Amino acid sequence: MSHMVDPLPTRGDPLAHTAADPRRRTTTLAAAFGLALRSLRNIRRLPSAFLPALLMPVFQAVAFSGTYFGITQLPGFPTDRSINWFLPLATVMGSSFSGLGIGFATIRDLEGGFYDRLRMSPAPRRSLVLGPLLSAWGRTLIVVTIVFVVGTIAGARLTDGPLGLLTLYVAGLGMSTIGTGWGLGLAYRFRDMRAAAIMQLTLFVGLFLTSAQTPLPVMTGWLHAVARVNPLTNILRLARVGFLGDIRWADCWGGLVAIAGLGGVAMLFARRGLATLDD
Amino acid sequence: MTIVALTSERRTAILAQTWAMSRRAILALARQPATVIPSLVFPLFFVALGTAAFGRAIELPNFPEVESFLDFALAGAIIQGVLFGSITSATALATDIETGFFDRLLASPTSRVSILVSRLAGAMAYAGVQTMVFIAVLLPFGLTVQAGPVGVLAMIAGGMLTALAVGGVMSAMAIRTGSSEAVQGAFPLLFILLFLSSAFFPRQTMHGAYKRIADVNPVSHLVEGLRDLTIEGLSWSAVARTLLISGSLAVVAIAVALRSLRKRIAAR
Repeated sequence: MSHMVDPLPTRGDPLAHTAADPRRRTTTLAAAFGLALRSLRNIRRLPSAFLPALLMPVFQAVAFSGTYFGITQLPGFPTDRSINWFLPLATVMGSSFSGLGIGFATIRDLEGGFYDRLRMSPAPRRSLVLGPLLSAWGRTLIVVTIVFVVGTIAGARLTDGPLGLLTLYVAGLGMSTIGTGWGLGLAYRFRDMRAAAIMQLTLFVGLFLTSAQTPLPVMTGWLHAVARVNPLTNILRLARVGFLGDIRWADCWGGLVAIAGLGGVAMLFARRGLATLDD
Repeated sequence: MTIVALTSERRTAILAQTWAMSRRAILALARQPATVIPSLVFPLFFVALGTAAFGRAIELPNFPEVESFLDFALAGAIIQGVLFGSITSATALATDIETGFFDRLLASPTSRVSILVSRLAGAMAYAGVQTMVFIAVLLPFGLTVQAGPVGVLAMIAGGMLTALAVGGVMSAMAIRTGSSEAVQGAFPLLFILLFLSSAFFPRQTMHGAYKRIADVNPVSHLVEGLRDLTIEGLSWSAVARTLLISGSLAVVAIAVALRSLRKRIAAR
């Protein structure tokens, strides 16, 4: 019977590091929350590192809707409010850059030696990925909320009630998961600021090769072919669904699948990248 | 007579020094392609993107009459590339200050003005190359410059003068702060200036406060001068807007940069 009522393994027991161990799970979560809290506190301590990720989407929402105001008059454009089209783009872009910001912070920690100390600590490895992800989600909630408030002041309107706000947040959190995984994975592999340029460039280009600026029926040529198969188009569609009419499941599921798929691959990329630090 | 001879000798020396340092600035850009390639590739990427995304926008009422969006987009690409390229030259000047090379130049019998002018010459040369590259790359894709070769020359000159203006302002910042990070930090300001103009879409299709800002933004008028050369043809109005706006901005910017240089030298 003793094996059935076996208490938690003792301190020196190697079995204490099995994944099923509840104490181990608690340690992972505690370490992850600690790391997330540190990262969120850094917003106050080093606002210059976070402010661009907040201000750029606000500017982008206003600037794009002002610059391309006339585009809504084209036949096939799904809204007559340009801010309704560009606000979700700005939140998705801001959210992905919130995730990438975690990648930049990790590069700073790697270059400054803090990451070596983290790796020497008894914090479980998975918490080094989970903690930054929680922090990215916290940053994303700030970004999406502020962009939405400013966008609403600038004239954006939800067309099918508060559920549209939920899809906007889900798309934002999904993009920040993808950005975090991609950013961390590159940071772990390059270990210097070269990774920052690659992170930004790839995500920026990836996001623009979608229906970022105009809907699929309006665009022409090569971009239409690329945007149609780019999974990020589905995430943008999910973000916009509450601003362009009735919310239909047909406009949502593709985005959710893309978030699950790309988010999972990106986090795996980060976890594998973390392992390369031990090589 | 002796004084005149010395002045002439001095003038020759200043020209030689400026040429040598300009050559250094231009070679530095050629030797570090990673620093200049983004300002060549990104504007072209946005032209390709814009032409595919906004190709049907030329059907909009009030949109200037163009054969394709590509013709419309060229001017914006030139100004975008030149604005971002000019930061590279100013950053190099700030790096010279950070590494102490600037102080070594000041300790030598080099003309003070040539230190600044050489960097600006580098920015101008690069802007000329950028404008030529943009036109050459887009021509096979259907770009038509209605103003012909003379118009292309005016566009190259406009691009170079714009680089002088932006380079002057950014160099003033580099000289004042002595920090390449501060110069790089000005990037969003240029981005905002560009977006609050008609660089990417015509003013005629904007409305409200946004249109009013674009109306008074000199970048709008500069871009529209270049754009008229592309889509309307050669006219005094287009050439004047292209060269006079950028030229006037350049005069002010150089004055500001020289003032900053004098202040820095006086403070030593």
